[in-house]
Amino acid sequence: MTKHHVTTTVNGDAVEFLCEAHETLLEVLRDGLGLTGTKEGCGTGDCGACSVTIDGRVVCSCLVLGVEAEGKAIQTIEGMAAGTRLHPLQRKFLEHAGLQCGICTPGILVAARSLLERNPDPTEEEVRYWLAGNLCRCTGYNKIIDAVLDAAREMRGADHA
Amino acid sequence: MTSERVASKGLSTGARCPARVIFTGDFSDRYTGSVREFEIEANNLRGVIKKLDERYPGLGERLEKETTVAIDGEIHEVDYSQPVRPGCEIFFIPKIEGG
Amino acid sequence: MPDTMTFTKKELRVVGTRPVRPDGVPKVTGLARFGADYSLPGMLWGRILRSPHAHARIRSIDTSKAQALRGVKAVMTSADLPEQKFEYVGPERVAVNFWHMTRSVMAREKVLFEGHPVAAVAATSKTIAEEALGLIEVDYEVLPHVIDVEDAMKPDAPLLFEDMITRGIEPAPDRPSNISKRIELKIGDVEAGFAAADEIVESSFKTAPVHQGYIEPQACLARFDTDGQAELWASSQGHFVIRALSARLLGMDIGNLRVYPAEIGGGFGGKNVPYVEPVALVLARKSGHPVKIVLSREEVFKGCGPAAGSIMTVKIGIKKDGRIVAAAGVFKFQAGAVPGSPVMNACMCAFSPYDIPNVRSVGYDVVSNRPKTAAYRAPGSPISAYAVESVIDMAAARISMDPLQFRLKNVAKPGTPTVWGPKHAHEGFAETIRALMQHPAYTTPLNKNQGRGVAAGYWFNNGGESSAAVHINEDGTVLVATGSSDLSGTRASLAMMAAETLGVEFDKVRPTVADTASIGYGHLSAGSRTTFATGIAVVEACKKVIGNLCARAAMIWDVNAEDVVWDGGCARYTGKKSGEFEPLSLKAIAVKKSVTGGPIVAEVSVNAGGVAPGFAAELCDVEVDPETGAVKVLRFVTAQDVGRAIHPSYVEGQLQGGAAQGIGWALNEEYIYDEAGRLTNAGFLDYRVPVASDLPRIETVLVEVPNPNHPFGVKGVGEANIVPSLAAVANAVSRAIGQRMTELPMSPPKILKAMNGGR
Repeated sequence: MTKHHVTTTVNGDAVEFLCEAHETLLEVLRDGLGLTGTKEGCGTGDCGACSVTIDGRVVCSCLVLGVEAEGKAIQTIEGMAAGTRLHPLQRKFLEHAGLQCGICTPGILVAARSLLERNPDPTEEEVRYWLAGNLCRCTGYNKIIDAVLDAAREMRGADHA
Repeated sequence: MTSERVASKGLSTGARCPARVIFTGDFSDRYTGSVREFEIEANNLRGVIKKLDERYPGLGERLEKETTVAIDGEIHEVDYSQPVRPGCEIFFIPKIEGG
Repeated sequence: MPDTMTFTKKELRVVGTRPVRPDGVPKVTGLARFGADYSLPGMLWGRILRSPHAHARIRSIDTSKAQALRGVKAVMTSADLPEQKFEYVGPERVAVNFWHMTRSVMAREKVLFEGHPVAAVAATSKTIAEEALGLIEVDYEVLPHVIDVEDAMKPDAPLLFEDMITRGIEPAPDRPSNISKRIELKIGDVEAGFAAADEIVESSFKTAPVHQGYIEPQACLARFDTDGQAELWASSQGHFVIRALSARLLGMDIGNLRVYPAEIGGGFGGKNVPYVEPVALVLARKSGHPVKIVLSREEVFKGCGPAAGSIMTVKIGIKKDGRIVAAAGVFKFQAGAVPGSPVMNACMCAFSPYDIPNVRSVGYDVVSNRPKTAAYRAPGSPISAYAVESVIDMAAARISMDPLQFRLKNVAKPGTPTVWGPKHAHEGFAETIRALMQHPAYTTPLNKNQGRGVAAGYWFNNGGESSAAVHINEDGTVLVATGSSDLSGTRASLAMMAAETLGVEFDKVRPTVADTASIGYGHLSAGSRTTFATGIAVVEACKKVIGNLCARAAMIWDVNAEDVVWDGGCARYTGKKSGEFEPLSLKAIAVKKSVTGGPIVAEVSVNAGGVAPGFAAELCDVEVDPETGAVKVLRFVTAQDVGRAIHPSYVEGQLQGGAAQGIGWALNEEYIYDEAGRLTNAGFLDYRVPVASDLPRIETVLVEVPNPNHPFGVKGVGEANIVPSLAAVANAVSRAIGQRMTELPMSPPKILKAMNGGR
């Protein structure tokens, strides 16, 4: 099968890869590039575990073809911490016990970061609706919502400082 | 289901205060000819199981594999060293496993 | 109003605090490795061919074309697994019959449900593996099928097993049926009890099968050496159990199989048994290459056990003053394609919260052409509690008594007999109900179309076999290794108990989940047992290490070991020459390890008993939209006796997660079959688990009535919380619409129908 050559950016780094036409971005990230932080929960865009951003927009990477990454900027969970410094959302998830098994966590963090970039001061309801595409089966969402709201608070404070 | 009480003299050595051992109906139907209750004198579960096995050969292994034990309501795994106090009530119940 | 109310007693240094979990950072950075995240050089991709039919005889399977496809390295069928003896092994509630189990992993004579595995391939790419599946020719003789319990119990129902005679009936029936087993438990004189009752309330109920819905599909990686030794990386609730069952299914020695625990992306009971592991092992053995299998979500729904569906009838008799004098329940459970629903649990737990002198529970385990059911959070108990707690609610209403007061009046106490024999031995039920009664939510007024429901529930909790090793490193840091899979933060709770016992800081203790070659046996992380039973092993290992440290301190001081005690993280001399020796810290002793006997290690294995049951009481407020029948959960409060919360945040998380799953079970979730017996909603779009916007905040009340049999009072927290949830929601909806809802899920069409008088 002919493979396509794709030039893209992943977490700020230039990346080239070869993929078959039917391969999803999720498969390319996990199996091709070894970035297994992005998870597959359903493969049909229903659970959000594979959330990444493409040019700043949250997508389910299981619904995007690898070839569609051409010329785009992809951000995955692996690029969320700034080197050794965790993103406030990552820290707040740990402090608030916003994860139990942790399989949904990468997708939720990616989606939540995207929310806070658009809306630094969301209400609880806005957080709940924004994250409605990300399934978590362990937590009942309470502590996830707490973590996002607390991270938003901290990030707003940092902006004002 | 038989729930009659059958005193089982052969297992008690005339002790002052033997333990009272009870099976579920289903278990007694299968293994002890529907005898559900026994009075057994023993210091630990090993002794209880040993005496039951002497009376019903093969029963000991069934108890070890298939049951959890409640001693005066406290639920324990079937473990030989589990102490048996005089006069206590021992239920062999179906083993418990969760999600 | 904070979400959490805690009733704590004795203050401890570490236990009861909320540190960041030690395995947390890799989980927020994407570096934690789950089942699907392992790879090996030369690895192949395994895929499973599944039955398109609900019920069919397999006339033949021709794999030759698949085998010939370039890139295909192995093809397997059931012929690659040894036949197993037909025998129920182990306790009846959870009996394993390997004859059935090997057929669940890979069909033999017949396929028994849509999605039943019939063959598997391993190939150099996913694409080739998928293509190869299409080349396998299976000749099926399609048979009539049966999906629902009522239909499966009919005398003329299609039989899954032509020779299955119902167990538990005397004399044994002379005809085979789909009823695998009948169970009856009773105490007292039920007929006399009902005759003495002033009021009798009876109703029948139906629940749909639901899936655990763990977000991580089953996944594993296997390699098999030519000398017969194999390694397996798998996400499961117990790698020792996966090892034992896989080895048995392959006919290999346990000693030749080493299983590494991957991080597990949710289990809830669904990952207690192997599905993909034996298949990957066989493919690896046949191909000579490592093989990875990752299931799709559709395969998870169709092929990996959901929880049972049921039909139930419950009757209770009460006195005018609210005392329950008799109760009877009939519980008919779908086992799926193989015997073994949790109906025994249902029968045992159903009336356990209450002091009722005359009780009978009858259960039926019924096979039908659905995937074999698997455990799901307090397996069986939420289902029977839904029926019992609904009838309790109706009874309280009948005599105009407050529903929590009614429950409190009848609540079981130490000494109360259970229907399954022993008397209750632990406190905590009444305390939990009282805690919920005192919660401000219970007296908040409601508006039009709104209703409030309450319910209570019981779960055994489990003890059992666990192992732990404690290593003191030369710099005074501590390693705690156990064989218990960590689903939800147990590394944190185990490390906290170790830090508390040893008297060191939490961040000096590093917990790991060790593989099957690196630690003694650990049973499943199931039954809410890990923090309880493995916790006992950890604390015992710490005590053993402390004894060792004290002996070494005595050696350093050149005094008698009896004169040394461990206190506040230090060895202290208590003998006559007191004052001469400065206390020795753990670190100070560790530094001297070489000259005091070498490495400082203790390993302890236990078969932990003395488990105390879990008890939960919950409140749910709902609003029903009279136009659409849609239910909005406005408020949910869950109170549970947790014994003692080691890490309160993760304990609250258990309560919240259990409630959320219960709400989904009550309102949305169900397996829907078409006429051909095919599952029509095998995806998260159509099988709707609750999302963040569906739920309110779930408020928790941690009731702490310590278990005296655990060093820190732990009772087990993972499961009791889901037991009352179904009934709490159902009671709320029933009050909101003024009609008793007797079928789950309470989807909008069903509610509209009920509101419109059945039309």
